[in-house]
Parts: sequence; structure tokens; C-alpha cells
Amino acid sequence: MGKYILKRLIYVVVVFFIVSFLMYALYNLIPTDPARAQLEPLKMSLKPHEYEQMYSDLRREMGLDDSLVIRYMRWMGLYPASGELLIQRTDDMGNPIQGARYEVLITETGIGGKKTERVLRVLTTNAEGEAVMQMRFGTYKVKEISIPEPHTLDPEPKLLKTDSIFNGMLQGYFGKSQYFKRDVVSVIKEPIKNTMFINIFATIAALGITIPLGIYCAVKKGGKFDSVVQATTILGYSIPIYIISLIFMYFFVVKWRIFPLMGTKTPGAMYATSTEELLDKLYHIALPVIVMTFASLGGMTRYVRSSMIEALSTDYIRTARAKGLREKVVIYSHAWRNALLPVITSILAWFLGIFGGSVIIENTFSLNGMGKLYWHGLNSLDFELVLAIQMFYTVVSLLGSLLIDLSYGLVDPRVRVDK
Amino acid sequence: MALLEVKDLKTFFRTKHGTVKAVNGVSYAVETGKTLGVVGESGSGKTVSAMSILQLLDANGYIENGSITFNGRELTDLPLKEMYKIRGNDISVIFQEPMTSLNPVFTVERQISEPFMIHQGLSKKQAAARVIDMLKDVRIPNPEVVTKQYPHQLSGGMRQRVMIAMALACKPRILIADEPSTALDVTIQAQILKLMNDLQEEKGTSILFITHDLGVICQMADDVAVMYCGQVVEMAPARTIFGHSKYLHPYTEGLLVSVPRLDTPVTQRLEAIPGSVPHPLRLPEGCKFAPRCKYAQPRCLVEEPELVSISENQSIRCFYPDMEARKDGKFE
Repeated sequence: MGKYILKRLIYVVVVFFIVSFLMYALYNLIPTDPARAQLEPLKMSLKPHEYEQMYSDLRREMGLDDSLVIRYMRWMGLYPASGELLIQRTDDMGNPIQGARYEVLITETGIGGKKTERVLRVLTTNAEGEAVMQMRFGTYKVKEISIPEPHTLDPEPKLLKTDSIFNGMLQGYFGKSQYFKRDVVSVIKEPIKNTMFINIFATIAALGITIPLGIYCAVKKGGKFDSVVQATTILGYSIPIYIISLIFMYFFVVKWRIFPLMGTKTPGAMYATSTEELLDKLYHIALPVIVMTFASLGGMTRYVRSSMIEALSTDYIRTARAKGLREKVVIYSHAWRNALLPVITSILAWFLGIFGGSVIIENTFSLNGMGKLYWHGLNSLDFELVLAIQMFYTVVSLLGSLLIDLSYGLVDPRVRVDK
Repeated sequence: MALLEVKDLKTFFRTKHGTVKAVNGVSYAVETGKTLGVVGESGSGKTVSAMSILQLLDANGYIENGSITFNGRELTDLPLKEMYKIRGNDISVIFQEPMTSLNPVFTVERQISEPFMIHQGLSKKQAAARVIDMLKDVRIPNPEVVTKQYPHQLSGGMRQRVMIAMALACKPRILIADEPSTALDVTIQAQILKLMNDLQEEKGTSILFITHDLGVICQMADDVAVMYCGQVVEMAPARTIFGHSKYLHPYTEGLLVSVPRLDTPVTQRLEAIPGSVPHPLRLPEGCKFAPRCKYAQPRCLVEEPELVSISENQSIRCFYPDMEARKDGKFE
């Protein structure tokens, strides 16, 4: 089993890198970039050449001039995102020299591909003979310009050291949201909690209903109840989720006034206890959860039903009955264990569908969740935020499929590669 | 009195196109410690008649008429709760397909210990010990290893041994063997049949042996019931059927000559019964076998013969049971 898990884990890692690169490359095709997005509010107050200058400075500073692979690796945290430039100047005896001056030069690509060198900063060494500068992206050149007496100027400084700082996804830095002007992590924190909260309830509710319902329909195949469920589920399956939302909103909010229309808490409410806060939250997410559950009922019920019918018609079920097992044991132990296999596979697709579906649900019900944030990020061209959310979806689906693979091995002995 | 007696059993199936009379008035009996062989082509109702005994019919099947008595007890109208106690305990079944008849997600141990646990109330541990004994009984090498294995790790012959072990777990009075060797290759088939014969001698179990293979019947059965289109067409001791009897049903005769024999001359064509089993919803009038019977007379096509006793223990459903006479064209 250990080998099996390890193999799956390696797959997950490989797929993660492939998907993340594709995502990164894809979002780079958007005909705008973070630098432009950042300058957008200043656009009107700047002269065209000032705007161009600022734009190219910003691009360089943000590292947008580097090649796609470098940028991807930097974003992932495999390539230094920034560094510390450290100059240590000593004389022939190894004593530090104070007051040596250095020019830090940078190569810029101007309009028409013309390359020009520009002095970025001038550094002077301190009493320890050291000068430090934080750098961002790009290629730097350091030139010694003057040195105090009685030392003579060397063509090269004695010691030049740069410390690389990796700062990417792998280090837990997901970038900075251009729109919110904050770290993506802090932007995502609250919505992620809300989304998880809603989806966990919707998942539990949906599985809790669809599995018993599907099994019951399979056992009573062709009966009246089964026919009614079949008709209802195909209806629920065919109606898009936003229509279902609107219908439910009309009845539960407008007509019967049972649930609030939107949001995750009562506006302006002060809570005495955390229990009260939780109850208010549950009250608010009840309707979205009902809608999501209802929307997922159709497909899952039909799936459980059909795989259960198949399992019940097999030879080993007849064997189980011939042994004298009670019908309950035959259905819930012998048949269900086998019907579970195809169901598990479909749970993954469905689970991800819930996350995807929540883009619509969260917008409809104005819930502060990942789906809404994603939508918002796309609209405001918030490149790094959108990418981070996309990666969140990627990780969820990869972990989901890993979980499915592992539980498959648990349920079906034939899948266990080695014991 | 016979241990198991099936009398005038009628098992029908409701389908979209009408009622299929899969078993239409079948009677046979299994004696204590003896083997009754039921022979017939696919669709002759041999499996359905056996499944009726344990009420293991599909949802659309039902017993229309007749009685099944086991040890003096009527089984046809037995409530399911009582039937649970008989299945796998007094009467158990070995199925045809060892590949699909074992549950793929449970170990051998779990599957064989179930009958012990439900019928004898043994604990999991006690049952596990008995499973090892059972596996030894059916001559499985390394029972301690096999017991922890899953069906997909075993060969067809081994799986059938597991099936037999499972069926014999609670020392049933009657074993229904539904083509237990059909899906196996010939050498394994011989081993399984020998095993069943040995176990019958050891434990005195009665066997209801269903097959389409006359060779197997000859080896296994004491008595034979030949079935065709849901009816018994001939009932006789195996010795009578295979021992050049004067009287035989034309269908039995057809089955016998269609089996290749070592003493058949190489140049002689193997005879086959022409045509095929009629569709269950469009059964012919008169004798069901008449359209395929080479001796059929006008009378056979309109009038249905009864199962008539020819001698003390042989009965035949034919107007002209005398083989010699009908071969010579003597129809009275």
C-alpha cells in the first residue's frame, strides 16, 4: 500500500507542475499585465511619455521583462524572486575599506529594442567595508567608481556576494492582489473559509440524500416511487443551477420569507456569543446549500441507482442470497460494497462540480466565497489573485483524485497494487 | 418418502410480451444420499425449477402452482424469514460460474464464514477456524494462505472449490449443483466431480445435479430427469438410460446419439437434433418436441402426451416410447 500511495503522490506532483505551468502561460496570454493594471488609475493624470517610462520601470521592477519560464519559476518559487546585493570591500591585508563607492547599473530595453545602461543606485561601504542593497528583478552590474586613499582602485571589488531570496508558491507566497493591494493569502483567507463551509454542508447533505435514495430506488426498481424519483431527478438534472436558484429565491425569500436573500450575516448585527454568530451564518447559508444540494441530487441519485441495480443483478448476489443471508445484509454489505466503486469515481467529478457551481451560486446569493472572488478577480484583471484561486482549484482536484485513488484501493482489493 | 419432492411445479415469469411458462408441471424427487441428475438444453427450465425450491427467482418470477416438500415441509408458501433458515443450512447451492459467483471485494474467509455465523451462531474467530477445516475438506492446498485471499487471486478450479466449501459449510441435507463443472476445463472438471462424489460419500448429502452434459450425468447421477420446454419428458434411473433400454424418449435418444463416443467409426457423421428449442412464448401445440422429432406422427402435432409409467421406475412423455418399434416405423 505504501508503494501505491507513493506512486500516486509522485503523479500528483508531476501533474501539479504541468497544470500550474499551463495555467501560468495561459493567463499570460491575457492582453494586459499587472504593471498596466497598477498604472490604470494614474493613466489620465500622466503625459504619454511619462506613462510609458513608468510602465517600463514597473514592468522591470515586477520582473515582467523576463522570459515566461523564468517568470513561472519565480512565481512557483524555484527561481530567486529578489535578492540582497552585498558588497564587501577589503584591502590586500584583508582590512575593510570604508567609503568605497559603487555604481549599480541596470540594462534597459527601450522602444525599438535599443539597450541602454542606466545607473540605478550609488552605494558607499560602511566601517565594516560592506554595502547592502535590496534588489528586485533584472540583471545588475556593479562598478567601482572611487575608493578612499591610500588604497588603489582595483578593476574588480574584492568580494561581491548576492543572496538569493526565493519567494513563490512553494514558499507560501501567492503573490499580491493588484486590486486589493494586499497579499493574495490575506485576500483569500475569508472567502476560502466560507466556500469550504458551504461546500461541506452541501456535500454531506447531497451524499446523505442521494445514496439512500439511489439504493432504495434500485431495490424497488420499476415501482411507483422509483418512477416518480426518476422523473424528478431528470428534471433537476436538466434545469441549470441559476434557474433553480431563482425559483428557490422566489418561493423561500419572496413568497414565504423563510430565508434571507443574500450575504453570510445579518447586516450590522452584533453577536453576544460565537454560537449566535454561527447560527446566524447557518441561517444565511441555508438557502444556497439547499439549492446546491437540490442541483446535485439528480445526477448522483441516478448514478447510485444504476450502479446498485448492476450490482444487485450479479451472480454473487444470488450466491449471497443462497447462503441464507438476510436481504438487508445482501443489499447493504454485498451489493453496496461493489456498487460503491463506480460511485466513488463520480463523486470526484461531482465534488469539483460543486466548487465550480459555487461561482454561480456565490454570485447569485452574494456570498463572500472563492467563486465570487474568482469572478471579481477576472473582471478586475487581478492576475495573481486569479492565478492563486485557479491553483486552489487545481490543488483541490488533485487532492480529490488522490483521495479517490486511495479509497478505491481501500474498497476494491483488485486495485491494490501491492499489499 | 423422498427427502425433497417437487410435484407439478409451475413457475412462470411475467414479461412485457406475456407470461413465460419456464417450468410447466414438473415433478421429481431427490432421495436421501442419492443424486438426481436433471438434464436438458438451455431454456428447458432445469435451473428455474431448482431455484424455485429456495425461492431464488428473479423479481418477475413466481410459483403459479404445485408443491415442493422438503423433509415433509412445504416450501412454496414458506415466509422469507423461515426460508432464510433453510438456505445455505439445509439446502445449499453451487452455481455455474465460479468466476462471477464469488463476491470480488470480500476474502475467502469472510465469504465462507458467513453461513457459519448466521446458521450456527459462531463468532468470527470460531468461524475462521471452521473455514480452514472446510478448505482442507475440499482439498485446497495452503488453506491458511487461501483463506486470506480474494477471489481474483484464485484460479477457476480453486474458486469452484471455495464455492463447494461454502455450500457444504453447514452440512446441508441437499446440495443443488447448477452446472458446477460447465465453466471449467476438462481436467479440473474431472477433479471437481470426483471431489463432489467423495464428499457425498463422506457426508451423505443428497445432490440435485443440473447439467446439459450427459457424460457428467452418467458419472454422477443415480436417477435422471430429462427436461424439455419446462416439462420432464423422461424419468428413469441412470442405469436404464445409459444401459441400452428398450424404451427411451426420442429427445433422450437424440441427446445420447449426439454425444461423440470412442467406438463411433471415424467416417460416421455425428447426429444432432435438428432445429432449436422453441421460443418460450410461442410453444407448439401438441407434443413440445414434435417439430424436432424425426418420428413425429400427425397425432403428435395436435395432442399432448402425458408422462406415462413404462416400468416400475421409468416414465416417458411420448406416445411411442418403444425405440425398436418406432425405428421400424411401427406406430400403433
